[in-house]
Amino acid sequence: MADELDPKVSQRYQELRTEEPPRELDQVILAAAHRAADRAHAPLVAPAGRHRWYFAFGAVAVLVLAVAITVQLDRTQLDSEALTVASAPPVSEVRKEREGFSSEPGALADQAPAREVPAPETRKKSAPAAAPAKPQPAENALPPQAAEVARVDRLESRREQSLAAESPSAQPERKEQAPAAPAAEAPSNQEQGQDQSSAVAGSLLGSELQARGSREAAAAAAPPSQATARPQAKAQESQAIAAIAPPLGPEQLLERIAELRREGKHADADKALAEFRQRYPEYRISEQMLKKVERPK
Amino acid sequence: MLAYRGGDARAFETLYSRHRARLFRFVLRSIKVRALAEELYQEVWMRVIEARASYKPSARFTTWLYTIAHNRLVDHWRRGGLPLVSLDDHDAPSSTPDPAHHAEARETLARFAEALEKLPPAQREAFLLHEEAGLSVPEIAAATASNEEAAKSRLRYAMAKLKAALDDG
Repeated sequence: MADELDPKVSQRYQELRTEEPPRELDQVILAAAHRAADRAHAPLVAPAGRHRWYFAFGAVAVLVLAVAITVQLDRTQLDSEALTVASAPPVSEVRKEREGFSSEPGALADQAPAREVPAPETRKKSAPAAAPAKPQPAENALPPQAAEVARVDRLESRREQSLAAESPSAQPERKEQAPAAPAAEAPSNQEQGQDQSSAVAGSLLGSELQARGSREAAAAAAPPSQATARPQAKAQESQAIAAIAPPLGPEQLLERIAELRREGKHADADKALAEFRQRYPEYRISEQMLKKVERPK
Repeated sequence: MLAYRGGDARAFETLYSRHRARLFRFVLRSIKVRALAEELYQEVWMRVIEARASYKPSARFTTWLYTIAHNRLVDHWRRGGLPLVSLDDHDAPSSTPDPAHHAEARETLARFAEALEKLPPAQREAFLLHEEAGLSVPEIAAATASNEEAAKSRLRYAMAKLKAALDDG
């Protein structure tokens, strides 16, 4: 730096440094600076208010959006689940069957509370799912969508129950039964009864579920509101759907009737057998099975 | 500048009084027409006022100020070339009442102005930044967006040419 500095040049230049900006220009610039400084103060108040308003508005908007998205997701998920469930058992059929059972005095519903549930953990699992499934009048009071939810819940519970009803003790009997059935006839019956079997199983267990639902409703001092019960029910639905096996075949239904007979629930067994015959008129019941499912003389 | 950014108008007054004359001369000696120099000078300060929020104290305020001035000059040069101010165009107030001294000063000023006028713009700017703003070579490089070697070289050439002009006189 020392090389390029020349004191003589600098001194000469210093002597010539006499020019200054005009006073008017100074005033213009200083006035602009003051105005800008005043403007800098003003926003400290005004934008703060605006920002508060923005924050409140933003929070409300986010909340509304979140609720709307949740509701929308709920609806779409529910629709898809309802479609999946409805494709396996015809809902209207099951409903008809259930109404038929519940309308008659002395039906399974009256005896169901005394009956033991074979798988307690399954029952515990399906309990929250059954909670929204209120008795029939309560369901009628619900809006159509909520009623549909309750119906889906009940169907899921029934499927679960019918699966749980297949106790390990019944399996060997079924194995014995299989060869006895006509080889040519069995597949056709299987195919025919595949879509009906679940409905029959549902009707067999429908009354029990109804009774259990009423028990649980009575036990719950304050029944959960629909909004809080729905997420639980949805979680249970997904679990139940995951656990659902293919629907019961006619042989399994016969096993179930035989089980009822063994338990001494002859009225239930008679009704179920009559219903079975109505549904599977062409199905030939082996003699061995007939002894098990028919009322002993 | 930080105080002014925080809304203290008096801080700007202090800054302005410290830099006004030097900056004005820097602009005036870079531009031929005084009215244009005044306009440009005002623009530089307005830019300072507008850009106060983005000011970062990473460098000296002087460097930042003359960087703005350099950019405004570059814009001006791009628009219409680089006329050097003719110092004969206005009567500079002299502190020396002696007419003989005043004449000699004017003669020196004219000679110096002629030498400055002959300098290439980059060398003249480096010289003015050094003499008026008191910037060091690294600061000149920063203000003119060039490297230190280039700034040093420009300043050395400018000094040599001006010294030669003075010696000739």
